[in-house]
Amino acid sequence: MNDFLAAHAPTATAWLVLGAILFATGLYGVLSRRNAVGILMAVELMLNSAALNFVIFNKFVAPVAVDGQVMAIFAIAVAAAEAVVAMAIFVALFRHRATVDVNRMDSMKD
Amino acid sequence: MTVTPEAAYTVIFYLIAAVAVVLAVAVVTARRLLRAAIFLMGVLFMSAGLYVLLDAPFLAGIQVLVYVGGIVVLIVFAVMLTHSEALQMDNPPVRRKVLASLAAAAFLLMTGGVFSTTEFYALRDGVPPADSTRAIGMSLLDAGPAGYVLPFEVVSLLLLAAVIGGIVVARKVPPPAQPFTSGGDMPGEADFQRPRSQRDGARQARSLADKPPVAPDRSPVPPAQPVSQRDVQSGGGAR
Repeated sequence: MNDFLAAHAPTATAWLVLGAILFATGLYGVLSRRNAVGILMAVELMLNSAALNFVIFNKFVAPVAVDGQVMAIFAIAVAAAEAVVAMAIFVALFRHRATVDVNRMDSMKD
Repeated sequence: MTVTPEAAYTVIFYLIAAVAVVLAVAVVTARRLLRAAIFLMGVLFMSAGLYVLLDAPFLAGIQVLVYVGGIVVLIVFAVMLTHSEALQMDNPPVRRKVLASLAAAAFLLMTGGVFSTTEFYALRDGVPPADSTRAIGMSLLDAGPAGYVLPFEVVSLLLLAAVIGGIVVARKVPPPAQPFTSGGDMPGEADFQRPRSQRDGARQARSLADKPPVAPDRSPVPPAQPVSQRDVQSGGGAR
């Protein structure tokens, strides 16, 4: 049992497929949600999986340096800034329109 | 039977991966957004565990501090501040669900195909850094060609801009029509806070003061006196 499990240690492909599944889930959320806050959550999911991919590549492709981990830190910082601005926009939008339904945010389309 | 570390690693990876995927699906399908936010917190915790498995303990700590402690709390606040009954049950129509799953499946197929046909190997030989936290710190503040001190500073500027932008966008009282006014704190700005009638009156008085005042008997006043008066009134400022 131990030998079987040790022989099936997760490869780079398994890790990357996990990241891809998380990203695809976020993509589904972005495309299917109607509430802007729900879309923001799905975008955070996608950003998180992207940061995970940086670290995966760091471990399996360039283990000598920590460049991938540094990039993941930058991705997390950008995600934090994005969440702050998105929340401010949603609050201002809700004050003006009393909704965060993205289907009704089409006044720039006319 | 004792469990070797390698076997435990495999078991923990697949366990965390399964929980993360299930929670991620719950994030995008939960009908109540507050529950979705809690599921998102679970996904981010699982990601922190994955970082530990990837020999990145510092990143795991950052993940818990920033994502779980900051971003999820922000999202919960956003959910509560934009609470609307119409979107309480966010149930997308079937057509959009099908299209979205098609797009996600296509992405997954494409990337999965690329990953399964690519061979990944370490591009450079050498020993991995013993202490990844130390290596990250050195690399973030290294001004050499392999360092990241410039992006580090740019990110600090980005965060500052995001903080200020968030306050400006979300604040309760809209700023006056003049851009970049702080609502009367700066000299000369208080005029915009006054009612329009007083403002017009003040402007009229100012435009009158620019011309030489006319006496009631319509004889022009000697020009030297009003100039000196204006200088006294405006604090003798250079013109």
